[in-house]
Amino acid sequence: MKKLFSMIIKLIRTAVIAGVVGFVLTFTIYMTNAENKLIYFVVRPFLTKHYDKQARDRRI
Amino acid sequence: MHDLKHILYFETLLDEPANELVKQAVEDGDTALGYNCYYIPETLLNLPGSFSSRLRAPHCEATPIGDYYLTNRNCPYTRAILERAIEGSYNYLSALFGAEACSAMERMEEHFETIKPVKHDPFVTSIIDAPLKSDQAALNYYKKELQDKVLANLKVLGIDTSDDALRAAIDDHNEVSRIITEIGDFRKLDNPTVTGYEFHLIQLVSEVCPHRLILPYLRETLEEIQNREPDPSPAFRARVIVCGSEIDDPEFTKLLEFCGARVVGDRYCFGSKPSREQIEILDGESPFDAICRHYLETNLCPRFMAEEKIDQRTDVLEAMVEEYKADGIVVESMKFCEFWSYEKVLASHILSNERGIPTCQIEKDYTLTGAGQLRTRFQAFVEGLEIKKIETAGAKGKGASS
Amino acid sequence: MKKELIAFIDQKLQKYDPVWMAENGVGGQRSRYRDDGTGIARYREWRGVEDTFQDYKAWLKNVGYMGAMVAKDPVKIMKGIWEYRWMGSFLGSFAFVDRIFEGYRGRELDIANIHGNAIVRILTLRIGLILHNDKRLGGGEMTDKMIGLDETIPPLFTAGFPTLNAEPMQTMPEFVVCDVDQHLDPYYIDVAESYGLAPDVCSRCSAETGVAIDDAFPVFGKLVLSTNQPCNASEATSMFQRRRFNSKGIEDYPFVFAMQHNTKNGNDYSKEELRQAIKKIEDVYGVKYDWDALFKAAKNMNHQNQIELEKWELFATPYSPLSGISESLYKLVEWALVNGHDAYFNEVDDKVIEILRQSVRDQYLPYKGKTRHRAFLWGPSAMYYTDFPTWTQNCWGINIVLNMDSTMGHNMIDTEDPEKALEDLAKFSEKGVMRHHAVGGWDNVNAVWEWAAKLNCDMVICNDNVACKGMNGVHALLEEQAAAFGFHFMFLPHDLEDCRTIPRKEIRKAVNDYMSIVMGEEPLDATLVDFDDAEAW
Repeated sequence: MKKLFSMIIKLIRTAVIAGVVGFVLTFTIYMTNAENKLIYFVVRPFLTKHYDKQARDRRI
Repeated sequence: MHDLKHILYFETLLDEPANELVKQAVEDGDTALGYNCYYIPETLLNLPGSFSSRLRAPHCEATPIGDYYLTNRNCPYTRAILERAIEGSYNYLSALFGAEACSAMERMEEHFETIKPVKHDPFVTSIIDAPLKSDQAALNYYKKELQDKVLANLKVLGIDTSDDALRAAIDDHNEVSRIITEIGDFRKLDNPTVTGYEFHLIQLVSEVCPHRLILPYLRETLEEIQNREPDPSPAFRARVIVCGSEIDDPEFTKLLEFCGARVVGDRYCFGSKPSREQIEILDGESPFDAICRHYLETNLCPRFMAEEKIDQRTDVLEAMVEEYKADGIVVESMKFCEFWSYEKVLASHILSNERGIPTCQIEKDYTLTGAGQLRTRFQAFVEGLEIKKIETAGAKGKGASS
Repeated sequence: MKKELIAFIDQKLQKYDPVWMAENGVGGQRSRYRDDGTGIARYREWRGVEDTFQDYKAWLKNVGYMGAMVAKDPVKIMKGIWEYRWMGSFLGSFAFVDRIFEGYRGRELDIANIHGNAIVRILTLRIGLILHNDKRLGGGEMTDKMIGLDETIPPLFTAGFPTLNAEPMQTMPEFVVCDVDQHLDPYYIDVAESYGLAPDVCSRCSAETGVAIDDAFPVFGKLVLSTNQPCNASEATSMFQRRRFNSKGIEDYPFVFAMQHNTKNGNDYSKEELRQAIKKIEDVYGVKYDWDALFKAAKNMNHQNQIELEKWELFATPYSPLSGISESLYKLVEWALVNGHDAYFNEVDDKVIEILRQSVRDQYLPYKGKTRHRAFLWGPSAMYYTDFPTWTQNCWGINIVLNMDSTMGHNMIDTEDPEKALEDLAKFSEKGVMRHHAVGGWDNVNAVWEWAAKLNCDMVICNDNVACKGMNGVHALLEEQAAAFGFHFMFLPHDLEDCRTIPRKEIRKAVNDYMSIVMGEEPLDATLVDFDDAEAW
């Protein structure tokens, strides 16, 4: 019984910690606009370089 | 070749919409009916007591009022027509029959209703919706539109639209077409006895003048050409077909021929292909049905979306190349023309890359404002065709000697 | 206690709120941005505790939708991003949502985010489905059961084929994505022009042509229905696209509609065309049309349209927190993409109409009562300046109450008699995207004044697509009518999907000039008057 109780407490604690960490992390990303900065300044230039090098079957 | 007797007169007739013959017909009590597009069957407008007048705006170099209404980013043909309408050039008309074939044309035609530029009483504007396919449903729609928006208005104008009247109109159409076709066939000769410029003039006068008044001149011209002696040696370096949109300025053809080409085929709006084919009344068909079917079948407008019509456009050109022994095709589009901008690229691609026919794509204004650039393009194209011919002849010679 | 705490935090942090900054002359919306033209803000908008958290939740939901899309078939999604340039542009979606709802607060923001989530949900579902079944990427179980539709064909009628799936061909590669990333379509336009297409044709169709030439359409289905909707260039580009589809073994069938869609003759013709299109699908896929399945979807559509009609009545009051891009973008997606196929959108409608009704009861003034002008917008949907209505409200207090394109087919569809349903469907389908008040005669365009008056607008803004021959053809008439009816009237020059011809900044300048010179007004947010966003998505 005691074991089960401590397991539940542990689970709740883990969930709360995960929730808090998740919130802090996602809210930080959200507020700092981090995902857009990453996509605009890193991902897209990389992809654009790739697209520009693609050989496409261009024809009418 | 000697000059054709009526050629100068034809030039004069094309100088303004209300030419001598148009004025005479109106004075005689005939009703003048304007139109712009092949979707409106010319034949329906040439009933007893009425005549068709395909609208042109000759010498219209500047279009300030047309630009005001339609913007300077729109089809220059439509701007020029509206400009001339507001100036009073079409005051002889009793009606304008339009077709929603393209947006620019439709908007221009609408202005004949909204701002009423034509000062004539009565004056009717009616615009049909034009089908994009040629199947039975499209034909039914076309017939219904012509019935409700053209024939109904003709009746209002007091014009006889009975079957007998329509039969007479078909006879008239077939007679004009027979003469024009016969004249046009002289372009098939190795050394044609009619120039592209002359033919352009002849075809145009047949579209803008009352048929009963222009027919005697056409007959006489045909006779003259039948007996005409060609130049001792051909005065051209390549034979070309012109394909494109509203080309109603014969100076364009003259420019092309001046650059060494001979225009042997005219597949454009205002040209004889399509427009000068015989209308046949099939068994069980009414004259009206025959006219509708004929115009839908022969229409080569690039707005048709059905596969058979898309293929028909290039097939007709390919057949013309064969028939008129043409060396190449000039594909024209007018500035700001959506349909021909696309068709120019597509047709040129199919003709040159898939069917091996040399093509030259050009874009032009309604008037010949960019003549210098066009001249350079034409000269280069003619030269290219000439070199190709020499190379082909050389290859044949080599083949024969080996 | 909670309320007090929030009020306390709001008061402490209000100096970071751009709306407060603009009100107090210490900055504004653009204060969050670097002056580098990228449109990437240094940090997200602080809207006060409640609204910021509301927006954060909506953002999280969008992250969830995107995550779910990737999780379903990560390999195909990655392959799709690698294969298609336009997929790369969808990565700008987060910035896009931020941009279009900038400055929104309270109920405006609630509704905008409900709509935003619904849009992201459906787009991720559809992108996932298309890529999963794209033959080029390996294909899937639905590959041969999909029908390609031209993006401007309303897909409601395809509900009668419940075992098939109709997907718009151009929506993802070109149409919707140009709203997200203004720099995508110029690439495809350049491809088309490099093959000789004139630069003066409609840039939307030019971009579609470029997609076809560049072989960038996803490959699925056995049949594509092309169309003449909405107008000339669409017809013309279809003839290019069909060649590409044919080369992939996909048949093309032109499904055309009457241009003059307000006539009995036109309606009859469209009805016949609809009948033939259904027959064609039956023949190609060997399935029978299921009228009951159509009626089910038609009920969804009717429900949507009933709510739409009520919305228009509420829009006429000053108390509607649904306007601008939040209204038009949702309507575009709900009408043109969903079209009765997804009951989820009915739930969204029910939720939103409730907020609207409550707002009227509460006499709620949106945008903190800062609206100075109510405008009816005559504007096409897909255009590189999607957040323009947001800007007009934030900068000049011009609330765009309704967009012309939101008035698409709204007649009810019969849900019992197939023949009657076909007739209703024809009428409904003819009035598609960029069509109802754009083609088919001057009277359809001239109806803008009636709409504007009905919605109590004092201003009409006409998006002046420089390449649209049909609308160019009524330029002077519109100006003359505006003067005759006494509306403030602006033409906004733009090139639909080619942002290089007339950049966003130039569009804003047209409004700035009108508002400052003609109206003699001061901006609500001075930082928004003149700024550079040329490099922004």
